[in-house]
Amino acid sequence: MSGEMANEVKLISGRSHPELSEKVAKRLGIEVARTISLNYSNQETSFTVGESVRDEDVFIIQSTTTGDVNEGLMELLIAISACRTASARRITAVIPNFPYARQDKKDKSRAPISARLVANMLQTAGANHIVTVDLHASQIQGFFSVPVDNLYAEPSFLRYIRENYKPEDCVIVSPDAGGAKRATSIADHLNTGFALIHKERPRPNVVGRMVLVGNVEDKIAILVDDMADTCGTLVKAASVLKENGAKAVLALVTHGILSGNAIENLNGSVLEALICTNTVPLGDKIERCPKIRVIDISPTIAEAIRRTHNGESVSYLFNHAPV
Amino acid sequence: MVRNIVVLGGNSHPELVESICGILGLPACSRILTKFSSGESRCEIQDSVRGKDVYIIQTGFGGNGSRLNDHFMDLCIMISACKTGSARRVTAVLPLFPYSRQPDLPYNKAGAPLYKAPTPNGENGKNQYTFDSVPPTPGPGVPKTSGLTNSSDIANQMIKNALTNGSSKEQYTTHDYENLSIVNGFQAKPGYKQWVAQAGTLVANLLTCAGCDHVITMDLHDPQVQGFFDIPVDNLYGQPLLKRYIQQHIPNWRDAVIISPDAGGAKRATAIADSLGMEFALIHKERRPTKITDRQNASMMLVGNVTDRVCILLDDIADTGNTITRAAKLLKKEGATTIYALLTHGVFSGDAISRVKASAIDKLVVTNSVPQDEHKKQLGSKLDVLDISPIFAEAMRRVHHGESISVLFNYE
Repeated sequence: MSGEMANEVKLISGRSHPELSEKVAKRLGIEVARTISLNYSNQETSFTVGESVRDEDVFIIQSTTTGDVNEGLMELLIAISACRTASARRITAVIPNFPYARQDKKDKSRAPISARLVANMLQTAGANHIVTVDLHASQIQGFFSVPVDNLYAEPSFLRYIRENYKPEDCVIVSPDAGGAKRATSIADHLNTGFALIHKERPRPNVVGRMVLVGNVEDKIAILVDDMADTCGTLVKAASVLKENGAKAVLALVTHGILSGNAIENLNGSVLEALICTNTVPLGDKIERCPKIRVIDISPTIAEAIRRTHNGESVSYLFNHAPV
Repeated sequence: MVRNIVVLGGNSHPELVESICGILGLPACSRILTKFSSGESRCEIQDSVRGKDVYIIQTGFGGNGSRLNDHFMDLCIMISACKTGSARRVTAVLPLFPYSRQPDLPYNKAGAPLYKAPTPNGENGKNQYTFDSVPPTPGPGVPKTSGLTNSSDIANQMIKNALTNGSSKEQYTTHDYENLSIVNGFQAKPGYKQWVAQAGTLVANLLTCAGCDHVITMDLHDPQVQGFFDIPVDNLYGQPLLKRYIQQHIPNWRDAVIISPDAGGAKRATAIADSLGMEFALIHKERRPTKITDRQNASMMLVGNVTDRVCILLDDIADTGNTITRAAKLLKKEGATTIYALLTHGVFSGDAISRVKASAIDKLVVTNSVPQDEHKKQLGSKLDVLDISPIFAEAMRRVHHGESISVLFNYE
């Protein structure tokens, strides 16, 4: 009896992205565990557990809510620590969009390496395993001393492009030098051309001058990046591509953070569409911006959870998107 | 003027930072501490901290448009930034320690939420809060009261409420939730007793993992929190301040009675009562179910005599204000003439301010461990604020110079 019962997958959902958790649970054929997170009136976060996690394989799904990252992070830490004290066998934090991933280096004096801090905090709270999607810099994996599975949205992107466009009409464009590797990988898989935009960035969230390297004339230019935040870069890059004779400009990003006046920027831009995954909750942004198209990432996450739980290899997912 | 020390302020309590810096005679470290539009904290420390003794002041309070968890993350990020910036030592100064109050279990054994009677008519009226106390706790030779009784049958009201609209239910817990309807709709798996995560240890561990070398705080709700840390924790006391207030501002204080509003605070209150040679009484919060149908009724009773006396309620923290306002009501019923409430931390979250306004408390005294400007505006002369910045400034100076701070625990 106990042999059958023990060590099931317990899927716990944070408050940030219940839709994704629902989709993952549905795909795994289980129910989201009964937990509830709330804030007290003094704003401290409370996390209530409504079922046993003793000796279970716990997966806690928490993404980032745009504008409220710290709330979600504290909630995740408290949930992990709660499961740890409740004798869970293993706790895996499933963080589709890793918070503070961009603060990953000491780029000036006394700059905080917040990504490392988050990594340390997750381990301190008691996470045994991390599953995430398209880390801003894969080196962040090195901040952890527990296993990190960095999943890729790339297979899903490749399928989307193949299903909706002719690869030979397309050019993959990286909006900055840092993303060149990501973009060339997609370009190689599709056997298409590649271009790069060089930009100068004077301050965060502000975009400077841009220069196109490569040819996009009469092609569908597909901008590839890991995240779209205020969309300043993408919008500016799109107009640069248009000026250089692109037939149409699409943007393909993993994390649609879309903060600030991203929606206004997108609506007023020459971008034909912004294609992003649902790693970050988009809320009403889809209604407010008809240009947003969403690729569901939950099959990949669900499959990673299933494989992790069963002790199977996850690397299959690096090149294949489950249907 | 203190050398080689850097005082870095968070966003939670700028006035306190300024005041402490004024006493220490140095400017606060210049820094940028805002949020990116994505919601991630942005922190840039502009002055050098290399080889310095860094003190980061951040209190565990959210309000006035800021969030507590943001402040806590900011604190961790600042600590980590100073550490990677080669600071010699980083001390977190937390006048009010966040998550120090472990939640009361808001649920009974069967897993159903405990209710208290719904409030009948908005903010006005002191009959808003009801209590009962049957049977009174027996005690040899102790004057005791029959306590306050409920005017109505809570159990029946609850059922009626559940049938008509489920939203006006309130839960009996010392924490109030921002959104109660979700709690009421929540059901644990059959056979499992749901429980609430206790975040105190986690917060301690997170501070340590961020790189904190030392913590200075004040009047921890549970002194045991000190033991959650592997690093030194200096727990300062607000008591001397409160004691001085009693001696200087309460007329005929020798005839007054010190009251602890719950058993947990009895030690704190008796300490002051003993040192001032004053009388002491205790309010007992009774949560024992007496009958099955009475299970939901929380009750309060007074142990001691307060008739025609001035009462001084002493507690470490007032969050929702439930405890002290209920205690004040009971004291008034027992014949107290004037009621003072002396607290170290006046958080006053949710509708606490209007609750205090409507309560029998005549004078409320708190320290500025959390910003009190808003509360002062709303409560006016009913609220007195004591300044704790001299204590913290002195503690920081002493810690910096490696002097003993135990003298601060008992200063007059």
